[in-house]
Amino acid sequence: MDKPTNIRNMSVIAHVDHGKSTLTDSLVSKAGIIAAKNAGDVRFTDTRDDEKERGITIKSTAISMYFEVSKEDLSAVKQKTDGTDFLINLIDSPGHVDFSSEVTAALRVTDGALVVVDTIEGVCVQTETVLRQALTERIKPVLVINKVDRALLELQVEKEELFQNFRRVIENVNVIISTYNDPVLGDVQVYPDIGTVAFGSGLHGWAFTLRQFANRYAKKFGVDKEKMMARLWGDNFFNPKTKKWAKTSEGGGERAFNMFVLDPIYKVFDAVMNFKKDAIGPMLEKLDVKLASEERELEGKALLKVIMRKFLPAGDSLLEMIVISLPSPATAQRYRVETLYEGPMDDESAIGVRDCDPKGPLMLYISKMVPTSDKGRFYAFGRVFSGTVRAGPKIRIQGPNYVPGKKDDLFIKSVQRTVLMMGRYVEPIEDCPCGNIVGLVGIDQFLLKSGTLTTSETAHNMKVMKFSVSPVVRVSVEVKNASDLPKLVEGLKRLSKSDPCVQTSVSETGEHIVAGAGELHLEICLKDLQEDHAGVPLKISDPVVGYRETVKAESSIVALAKSQNKHNRLFVKALPIDEELTKAIESGKVSARDDFKARARILADEFGWDVTDARKIWCFGPETTGPNLLVDVTKGVQYLNEIKDSCIAGFQWATKEGVCAEENMRGVRFNVLDVVLHTDAIHRGGGQIIPTTRRVCYAAALLATPGLQEPVYLVEIQCPENAIGGIYSCLNKRRGQVFSEEQRPGTPMFTVKAYLPVMESFGFNGDLRSATGGQAFPQSVFDHWELMNGSPLDKGSKIEELVRSIRVRKGLKPEIPALDTYYDKL
Amino acid sequence: MFYIIGLGLCDEKDITVRGLEAVKGCSRVYLEAYTSILMVQKERLEEFYGKQLIIADRDMVELESDEILRDADKEDVALLVVGDPFGATTHTDILLRARSLQIPTQVIHNASILNAVGCCGLQLYNFGQTVSLVFFTETWKPDSFYDRIKENVDLGMHTLVLLDIKVKEQSEENLARGRKIYEPPRYMTIPQAVTQLVEIESLRQDGILSPSDTLAIAVSRVGGGDKHERIVSGTLSELNGHLPEAFGEPLHSLVIVGKRVHPLEIEYAQEFAIDKENWRRVAEIVYGCALD
Repeated sequence: MDKPTNIRNMSVIAHVDHGKSTLTDSLVSKAGIIAAKNAGDVRFTDTRDDEKERGITIKSTAISMYFEVSKEDLSAVKQKTDGTDFLINLIDSPGHVDFSSEVTAALRVTDGALVVVDTIEGVCVQTETVLRQALTERIKPVLVINKVDRALLELQVEKEELFQNFRRVIENVNVIISTYNDPVLGDVQVYPDIGTVAFGSGLHGWAFTLRQFANRYAKKFGVDKEKMMARLWGDNFFNPKTKKWAKTSEGGGERAFNMFVLDPIYKVFDAVMNFKKDAIGPMLEKLDVKLASEERELEGKALLKVIMRKFLPAGDSLLEMIVISLPSPATAQRYRVETLYEGPMDDESAIGVRDCDPKGPLMLYISKMVPTSDKGRFYAFGRVFSGTVRAGPKIRIQGPNYVPGKKDDLFIKSVQRTVLMMGRYVEPIEDCPCGNIVGLVGIDQFLLKSGTLTTSETAHNMKVMKFSVSPVVRVSVEVKNASDLPKLVEGLKRLSKSDPCVQTSVSETGEHIVAGAGELHLEICLKDLQEDHAGVPLKISDPVVGYRETVKAESSIVALAKSQNKHNRLFVKALPIDEELTKAIESGKVSARDDFKARARILADEFGWDVTDARKIWCFGPETTGPNLLVDVTKGVQYLNEIKDSCIAGFQWATKEGVCAEENMRGVRFNVLDVVLHTDAIHRGGGQIIPTTRRVCYAAALLATPGLQEPVYLVEIQCPENAIGGIYSCLNKRRGQVFSEEQRPGTPMFTVKAYLPVMESFGFNGDLRSATGGQAFPQSVFDHWELMNGSPLDKGSKIEELVRSIRVRKGLKPEIPALDTYYDKL
Repeated sequence: MFYIIGLGLCDEKDITVRGLEAVKGCSRVYLEAYTSILMVQKERLEEFYGKQLIIADRDMVELESDEILRDADKEDVALLVVGDPFGATTHTDILLRARSLQIPTQVIHNASILNAVGCCGLQLYNFGQTVSLVFFTETWKPDSFYDRIKENVDLGMHTLVLLDIKVKEQSEENLARGRKIYEPPRYMTIPQAVTQLVEIESLRQDGILSPSDTLAIAVSRVGGGDKHERIVSGTLSELNGHLPEAFGEPLHSLVIVGKRVHPLEIEYAQEFAIDKENWRRVAEIVYGCALD
C-alpha cells in the first residue's frame, strides 16, 4: 500500500452479460475472500439484492487484494517495481448502458481496465462505449475473451475456427482502440503474443494468457520465453514431423496456437464430456494436474470445471496479466495528470499528482458516494492522487463549482475515518497514501456527488467527470400520504448522492422530478427511493422525455428589448451553431474553461468562425457550460463591460428555460449587436438588465425559426434471423430507423442497429420480446439529438401540440408567448 | 389631468401649496417610493393631505404605467415623487406614455438634492456632472463614474455623488428565477462610498481621488432641519476613518470638491470640518486657495 510502484488500480468493463462479475469472482477467490469452488456462482461484487435477482450489476463495487508474482515473471514487468508483492484495487462495473455513469466513476480512480468480451457475441455497442471512455481518461486496456467454454460445449467449433474467431474479436477491439487512441498513451492495442490478451471462462474459473503456455514450452523447445509467446500466436506453423517452423501451413504444418494451446484444452473437454474415463488419468499427469480423491468421483461439467481450474487457474493468469501489463499509479499519473487536473501543470498540487508523492499536498478525487449500513450516510469513495489521507487533520473539501481563491462550494473539515472498500465489507485503515482507492467517513454531507479534497490552499479542482449518458428520461414523483413529504425530500437528496448520474429537482409547479439515463436506470432509482432512501409509498408519473430548443436560421430582423425603466436597449440576433461545434462543446472539447485565445484558434480553424468573434464569446450556457453561446459583436460601445455580468445571468436563465417550452436550449448563438445604456450605473443594474437580456434572447429565438430536438437512442439488437421481421415491425411502429443489419461471422446471430426516438422507447423492450418470442436482446444508448420536423409556431402541427402538452405539464399557459411579449418596438 | 408632484426633501409639509391643491383634487394618488425616501411614514402624508396614497414601487411605475394612467384623461391622477419630478431620477418615460395616450400632464416642481446640496457651502454654478455610486458586488464593479468625475476634476468642478439605495430589490438568483422575493432595504454609508471611490482610484491611478489630498463634504437628510441634517467635511481619508454615526441617518450624498473652489466656499464648509486645521491646509496647499 505504501509502494505506489506495486499498486494496480483497475476496473473491469464490458458489455452487459459478457461476464464481468463472474470473472471478477475468480480474481476474488484467488485472494481467498471466497472459496474457490464457489467462484463463478457467487458474484461477490453484486452486493445488492436486486443485482442478484436480475443477474446484472447495477453499482460498481471495489475490492482490494494482495497478489504475489513469482520472481521469474517479475522480469516481464516493464516498469519500476519494488518487491514481488502487489496490491490490486479492482472495481467491478455494470455493463448495462443505463449505468455507464458508474463506469465513468470507476474509470476515474483506476489506471487500467480489464475489458471483457464474449467469444460468441463479440464486440458490442457497450464494449465500444466503455473502451472509448477508458481511452479518453487515458486508461490502458487489457482484453479477456470470455465464455470460451460455450464455444466448445455449445457451438462445438473447430480449433481453426475458434482461432479465427479470437483473431476477429481482437481485431475489432484494436480497431476501436486505434480510433480513440490518445497519442500520449502510446500504442495500447492488445496482442496475445505480448500477453495483453487472455482467454478463458469466468463461469468455470479458468483462463490463460500465452505466457502460461510459453512457460511450459519454452524449456521443451529450448527457446526464450518471449520468443515462444510470439510463436504461439498468428501465422506460425509447426510441422511435428520435420520439427520445423514455417510461416504458412503449406508443407503439412499446423498452427502453433491450435497445436500447443487449443489442443490440450480440446483434449480435456473431449475426454471429460464424452466420459473417456481411462484417457483422463494419463492426461492429467501430462498436464501436471493433481486431483483430490473426492474430486476424482466427479463427472461431466463438474469434473471439467475442477480440472480446468487446476490446469489454468483464472485468478493467477489474470492477476499476472494485470500486474505485468497494466501501469502502476506512479507510472500512470505521470501522463494522466494533464487530463486530471484543472490548474497549471507547475503548481505544487500538479507536481504532487505527477510524481505520486505521498509527502506532497493531499489531492484526492471523490468519484462517487457509497451508501453505508448506517441509513442515510455515505462513504465518499475516491482515489488519493497525491499526499496521504488520514483521519483528524482539517482538509479542504472543494465541490465542482469551487473557483480557486473564492469561498463558494468550499468546506474545511476533517475526515473521521478512512476505510478500504472490500465489496460488501469495509476494512478500517489508519491512513492511505497516494495511488490507492479509499473510502472516507464523515464528509458525505459536504459533497453532492463528487469533488476534490486537498490540503493545498492554491489547489484547483480535479477535472469533473464527463458522463457519456445524460439523464434524458424523467418522471415526477409525489407521496401518497401528504405527511410523508419531508421524507421524500430527504430521500431525493440521498438518491441524488448515491448515483453519479441521476438528477433530482423541483419544478416551478412544485413537482419533484427524477431524471435518469434510461428506463432501467430510472426503475432502479425509483425502487431505491421508495424502499430505501425515502421509505414511503410514492405515486410515480409516466416517464417524460426532455427536449432541447434550438433555432434553424438567423433571426429575420434584429430583436430589441428595452429595460423596465426604458433607458437601456439591447439589440440581439440568434443564429444556429453547427452540429459539430455543439457536439464539441457537449463533449468538453471546446469548453468555457479553455484559454480564450486557444479556443478562438480552434473555433477559427475547425469550425470556420471569425477569430475576432470567437475571442469575444462572453459565456456558455445554460449552467455556464452548455452548448449555447453569447457573443459580443458590438463596435465601440461604452459601459458594455459593466453590464456583462447581468447579460450573462439573463442569458443563463434564457438558455435554461427556452422560449417555446422552457426546455434547455441547444446549439443557439446569440450575437449582441448593439446596446444603448443609461450613463449612470444606478439605472442599468442587474434589476434592469437581467430580465431584459432574457427577453431579448427570447425575441431573437422566436425570430430565428425555432425548432425542437428530441433525444434518440442507438439500439443494438442481437437476434437470430427469423426474429428480424418482428424487430422491423416493432421499430416501424415507433418511428425507428434501421441503419445496419449484419450477420455475426461464424454464428447464426444477426446484429441490427437502429435509431429510436427516446420518446417512443417506453415499453419497447417488452414489445420486442413479444414480437420476437423473446429471441431479440436490445441495448439502447443515448446517441444524439435529432431535429424534429415542423415548427412549434405552426398552429395545429404535431410539434405545436407537443409543445402545448409540455407547457401544460409545467403549469404554463398552453400557447407559446407571442413575439410582442418580448420584442419592444422603438 | 395627470400630475407629477414633487414632495421636496423632508416631510409632509414640504409640498408646495400648488401641489397640495392638486393632490386634494385627485381621485387617485400614487407615491413613488423606490428612488428616494422621505423621512416620514406614508401614514403621516395621508393624514396631512387627507387622501389615501397608493405605494408605487419600481415594478409598478416601470411595468404597470397603464394602471397609473387609467382614466387620467377624465379625472385627475397624481404621482408623488420625492424631491423634484425632474430631479435625480427622471420620470420622463411615464410622461411620454401619458402624452401618447393624449392625457394632459402637469409637473409641479419642488426642491431636490440637486439644488439643496448648496447647503454645504459650495456654489451650484460650479458643479459638474452628477454621478451615482452603486453597491459593488464581488464580480460587478462598474467604474464608469470615475471617468465622469475625472471630466469634472479636469474642469475644476465639484461633483455630486449620489449613493445607492436598495429598496425592494431582488437578489440576482431570485431575479433570474423570476421570484418576487425582495432583499431587506440597504443604504450606502459614507465610509462605504469612500472605500469604493478609493478602490477604483487605486485601480485606475489617475490621481484624481487621492485620499489625503481630496476634499469632500458628506451631507445627509438635507432639508431635514437641525434635528436631521448633517454636514461633515474633510479629506477622503478623514471621512473614511470617521464614525458612521457622525454622518447621521440615510440618505447620504457626497460632494467632491473641485479645484476651482472659491475661498468663500472653503470658509463656509470649514464650519463642518472634522479637522479644521487640516481642511485649511489642504485647501491652501493642494487646491491653491488663498485664505485669509
